[in-house]
Amino acid sequence: MKAEYINPFISAAINVFQMMVGVTPEKGQLGARKGIFTSQQCNIVLGVTGQLEGQIIIGMSIFTADKIASKMLGTTIRTFDELAASAIAELGNMISGAALTELASRGIQCNLSPPSLIRGTNVRISTLEIPTLVVPLQTEMGDIEVNVGLSERAK
Amino acid sequence: MAKRIMITDDALFMRVTLKNILTQNGLEVVAEASNGREAVELYEQHKPDLVFMDITMPEMDGLEALKAIRAKDPNAKVVMCTAMGQKQIVVEAIQAGAKDFIVKPFQPERIMEAVQKAA
Repeated sequence: MKAEYINPFISAAINVFQMMVGVTPEKGQLGARKGIFTSQQCNIVLGVTGQLEGQIIIGMSIFTADKIASKMLGTTIRTFDELAASAIAELGNMISGAALTELASRGIQCNLSPPSLIRGTNVRISTLEIPTLVVPLQTEMGDIEVNVGLSERAK
Repeated sequence: MAKRIMITDDALFMRVTLKNILTQNGLEVVAEASNGREAVELYEQHKPDLVFMDITMPEMDGLEALKAIRAKDPNAKVVMCTAMGQKQIVVEAIQAGAKDFIVKPFQPERIMEAVQKAA
């Protein structure tokens, strides 16, 4: 996967976190994986179609998800309910939407599926052997892991 | 100014956020739809002054719903509110009659500006 595809996701994530959560994430060391999977507890999963195809997974701990949702909703979350799940999912939608908008301005047109939220441990999406780039983002609310597995559509 | 508003978004969080902004500014939210198909049905029932419409939604997306609503009511006022800001999508929405196009994340003032502009 080309590194140029993940950069818009990093800058979008930083912008969206600043605006929606009021924190500025610090970018960590970029890593690569052979397939797309997550070992995080709370994951926003989005599908990408168009000139690039694949998946985006934004993962974090349940503790971090609770903190972020509390900030977005302006109230402390007691149970991670539908509203909290929707806030976290929407964060993924905003980040990916902004990243795809940036890619479109460079002539790469893609569409996004509505986000799904998956909570659990060791979630492996085994059907997708898409080479994936992973970037950790450190925030005062905990670490966020952005996984971008996109490949150019076969012509 | 538009007073009776309908919100369309598949994310409960966005519906709650938009509703808070609108009601705090003295506007009434008369209907909430979670996909395009519901939006078309609820528009018929409630005939709101203004509609906020997400684009990426299950069942029927916001661009299809915009076209369906405008086909039935050519005076319908619809403001798109979406995370997807691609030029191609903005142009398609404006050509289909959308009054404004708001890209998420937004500041509350941007929502009220759209309400005033659409009046």
